[in-house]
Amino acid sequence: MSVSETLANEPAQKKGLSDQSRARLINIAIPLGTAITLLLIWQLGVRVFEVPTYIAPAPTDVLQVFRSDFGLLMQNFWPTFFESLAGFFIGNMTAVLIAVAFVHSRLVERAFFPIAVFINTIPILAIAPILVLIFGPGMTAKVVIAALICFFPTLVNMVRGLQSVSPQALELARILSASKSEIFWKIRLPSSLPFLFSALKIAATTCVIGAIVGEWIGANVGLGALIIEATFNFRSPLLYATVFLSSGLSVLLFASVTIAEKLIVRW
Amino acid sequence: MDAGHLENDGGRIIAASLNAASVKFGALTALSDITLDIEAGDFWTILGPSGCGKSTMLRLVSDLVPPASGNVEILGKTTEAARLAREFAFVFQDATLLPWRSALKNVELPLEIGRKRGIKIPTGDRTPLELLELVGLKGRENALPHELSGGMRQRVAIARALVCQPKLLLMDEPFGALDEMTRDHLNLQLLDIWQATGTTILFVTHSIPEAIFLGQKVLMLKANPGRVKDVIEIDLPLPRDIALRETPPFNQYCSQLRKLLEEC
Ligand SMILES: Nc1ncnc2c1ncn2[C@@H]1O[C@H](COP(=O)(O)OP(=O)(O)OP(=O)(O)O)[C@@H](O)[C@H]1O
Ligand SMILES: [Mg+2]
Repeated sequence: MSVSETLANEPAQKKGLSDQSRARLINIAIPLGTAITLLLIWQLGVRVFEVPTYIAPAPTDVLQVFRSDFGLLMQNFWPTFFESLAGFFIGNMTAVLIAVAFVHSRLVERAFFPIAVFINTIPILAIAPILVLIFGPGMTAKVVIAALICFFPTLVNMVRGLQSVSPQALELARILSASKSEIFWKIRLPSSLPFLFSALKIAATTCVIGAIVGEWIGANVGLGALIIEATFNFRSPLLYATVFLSSGLSVLLFASVTIAEKLIVRW
Repeated sequence: MDAGHLENDGGRIIAASLNAASVKFGALTALSDITLDIEAGDFWTILGPSGCGKSTMLRLVSDLVPPASGNVEILGKTTEAARLAREFAFVFQDATLLPWRSALKNVELPLEIGRKRGIKIPTGDRTPLELLELVGLKGRENALPHELSGGMRQRVAIARALVCQPKLLLMDEPFGALDEMTRDHLNLQLLDIWQATGTTILFVTHSIPEAIFLGQKVLMLKANPGRVKDVIEIDLPLPRDIALRETPPFNQYCSQLRKLLEEC
């Protein structure tokens, strides 16, 4: 290759690269710009119409709380974080195990699926006080509520996932004289992973809701408790900051599941 | 070959033998009274109108459906014993690869299944990697199925079928979903593989030219219920190449089979 050719190629390559990174930049810039614009409108609206802070705080007020009350926010963040995470793991694990039992035995499915549906039809707000009564004001009740809210979508998706194996793949397994456990580990379980992950994405956000609802009913720590406290004390900036932190927690869990999915489900 | 294998009058080993075998699905008789001996090393193609029981016949031989009456033996064993010994392999119309496994890992699947249970798995002379090379996929062993074309996926499926060095290869319209060019290419490759491995092949197809081009014998089935209509010996030289299809003898076979198929 001649030198001139390489030289001629280089700018073209650079241009291609900058085109790509520009596209990526635009992808980030558009939603970011929209968010900033909305925040500005909010800020201006509150200031221009002189809305009292306790009714609607300006974004700068909320930001101020993040600085002045960061310790308080974090002190309430971690309990909710651990409750959500524990609920996420317990709820999904239980759902997966029960799904496996369902797929292995028609009888188990017929016996327990109606119960699972029934539990799912009870609004979480109605069942939460009962669980707090049973488990007391500690963390356990919140974990159980978070687990419960994750449970049903994962159960349904996982059952579908385990049954999503093509009849042909099962015939292949039969010709290879595969055992039931080999079919499960080598075919059914991997086939179910895309279904499992779509359920886990739902669970990543709902488990936080579960934990917070649990904290509303009886707790003195946690984001849910802080929401109640801030509301009753008309500390609106703190309330807004807590709400942002709660959705931040959901986003964090959702992003973790998405990254795990990208790494595991490569097909 | 060891003793116990059935031999016919000519002293040749019988790879698969159907004795008055019938298959019923409820009230429907899919196959009725099939009697047939497939000599080891032969390449049979199976033709017949849609729904006449071609797939059912392969499924009967591969122990996926039981005979309602009569029996089937593979190398002197029951179909179940033959299945457990991995005497035969099956290639489906769609490749049926596991999408999360690379091409190589898919070829290795038959070697993994049963290993932990201490089942003796026959391994061939060729490693999975060499088999991928044999089907022309050298360098693509780490590709996932969705990264391969339809023809490539089917070649992975063929490599997987060969990994336990089966004595009998059952293929149900393996190239039915492929375009003409790819199909021609894979037909030639399959003939090479057949000659290189010496395996017996039962190959179902809808295409008359394909049946003649590949087969030494064409089994014609007729429908309602599925029965043997005729067995046509294809007396064309081996090895075969694409140009053969332009020759008068080939075309004579084509029109002969087309007439037979119309009578079915
Ligand atoms: N699992 C099954 N249950 C009930 N009937 C079946 C089943 N499998 C096949 N049949 C019936 O048996 C007959 C033969 O089917 P088969 O699939 O063997 O035909 P085929 O010759 O392979 O057809 P095609 O050329 O369309 O693939 C058909 O009438 C079909 O409806
Ligand atoms: Mg068929």
